[in-house]
Amino acid sequence: MIRYFWIPLLTLSLFKIFTNVSFAQSNYVLPYPPPMPGSFLYKIRLLSEQIQQYWYFGNFGQFSYNLKQSDKYLVQAKTLFEYEQYLLGEEALKKSDMYFKNSPKYLGKAKEENKNIDRLQKILKEAASKHIEVLNEIKTHVPEEITWSPEKSQPVKIFLRNKLTEAIYIRQSCL
Amino acid sequence: MSMMKKLFFILYPFALLSLTIFSYFFIDSNLTYLKDFYSGFAYKHRYSATFFYLLILLIFFTLYILLLKLISKKKIDFKDLRYLIFITIALLLFSYPAMLSFDIFNYISTSKVLFFYYENPYIIMPIEFAGDPLLSFTHASNKIALYGPSWILISAIPYFTGFGNFIVTLFSFKLFVSMFYLGTVFLIWKISKNLVYVSFFAFNPLVIIETLLSGHNDIVMMFFSLFSFYLLMKKKIIIPAFIFFIFSIFIKYSVIFLFPIFIYIILKTIRKQPIDWKNIFYFSFLLMAGAFILSPIREEIYPWYAIWFLPFISIVFQKRTLVYISVALSFGLLLRYVPFMLFGTHFGVTPFLKISVTLTPVFFVLIYVFLRDKLWLKIFSR
Repeated sequence: MIRYFWIPLLTLSLFKIFTNVSFAQSNYVLPYPPPMPGSFLYKIRLLSEQIQQYWYFGNFGQFSYNLKQSDKYLVQAKTLFEYEQYLLGEEALKKSDMYFKNSPKYLGKAKEENKNIDRLQKILKEAASKHIEVLNEIKTHVPEEITWSPEKSQPVKIFLRNKLTEAIYIRQSCL
Repeated sequence: MSMMKKLFFILYPFALLSLTIFSYFFIDSNLTYLKDFYSGFAYKHRYSATFFYLLILLIFFTLYILLLKLISKKKIDFKDLRYLIFITIALLLFSYPAMLSFDIFNYISTSKVLFFYYENPYIIMPIEFAGDPLLSFTHASNKIALYGPSWILISAIPYFTGFGNFIVTLFSFKLFVSMFYLGTVFLIWKISKNLVYVSFFAFNPLVIIETLLSGHNDIVMMFFSLFSFYLLMKKKIIIPAFIFFIFSIFIKYSVIFLFPIFIYIILKTIRKQPIDWKNIFYFSFLLMAGAFILSPIREEIYPWYAIWFLPFISIVFQKRTLVYISVALSFGLLLRYVPFMLFGTHFGVTPFLKISVTLTPVFFVLIYVFLRDKLWLKIFSR
């Protein structure tokens, strides 16, 4: 009789021990890391990015395009920061911010055209929440500031955490 | 006027009118634009609806065979045929197009995404426009554009001639597709100069139902590909023919199967070598029949896919076995609607029944051909 009690208990215990429980803050899914700077595919990616800008016409299309690019550059920045490529990472973050700032603009335009934007607004909020989650995570790994010394000019200080705080602030405005 | 001809000229318009009226029994309850015509008959009385559908099919196929006989006996002339084609188009133009398929609503909603909302239908789905009245009855609103860019571009014509009114748009799409039916029939006539060949295509109940009733765009694709063949055949002009052929590929993609043949014709034309057009149309038929057979890889065999090969078999009408199979298949394909009409579900026994009813008439024709060619010849040669 006792085994009817122990077997489920043991199974549950093993399940608890061997499974990692993750508490995701947002269901929004970010893409895989895109081709990185320096690779040949990166050039193709930049070209396709330019072409897609025209393919994604219309305000809903432009919203999707900008959010998609923002997601991609955020993942790129995260990867580059993990590999301590701070300068390239900071550039990718700048691009992600730029595209993210554009997204609500197109939603506003779509609203002016009397298009129902409720669903896309929800997507934007989820994306903002996910981005903030990722940015906060990056913040814990990167140094406060770095000094970049180019070959033929003066060294420049980059305040990485400030940049990340700024990026979080941009996204918070959409929540 | 012979008795048979008289009978045909009385029965055929009556059959067309019956089909047109019957189509209105299938109005979707969500289609508020036609709520005054809604009866719910086809959904409340499934057995009766199926019975009437089968009866109409039988009448149409009987009249079709009768017509082909009358034409082959030269009892129906060019003028009569012109009149018959005219009444076929005119009466079915007013039929309810979503009796058997909802594709016409997809055409309208896709063109609305582009021409009304100014969004790319290959990225933005109709469902994204919450509150749009088309969403309540469009079945594939959760999909991006299913058709090629050529179709989306030319669908601007019926879309804008609808002047923003749904009912006018619906019937302008039907009229638009009907014009391509007329064009295809005209091309078959120009190529074959044979009334039987023309009638074999023009009055095939599957062609009539899928094109003039349901308004499927397959006929538009076939018109442009046949037109490109015609340009090469009669005018020997390569560049316009090439443009029209590419245009047809980008309507629904399946005519890409004809690409090797098209290149072959162009090479022969450039080299000024003679072309065996009978063989060209025969192989075109085989390739498009291949595309039809392979269509389940993508989704399933839909009855209107038969329009991909029927124009070619009409031109190579001498291949009698293939002609019989094509007619049987046309009948079988139209029977595919019966299981859903009867049971109201796409699951359970329906998929099996759909395959069975499609293949059964073909199977009987094959038995007939076998008996005719093998057994009878053996018996009589003894």
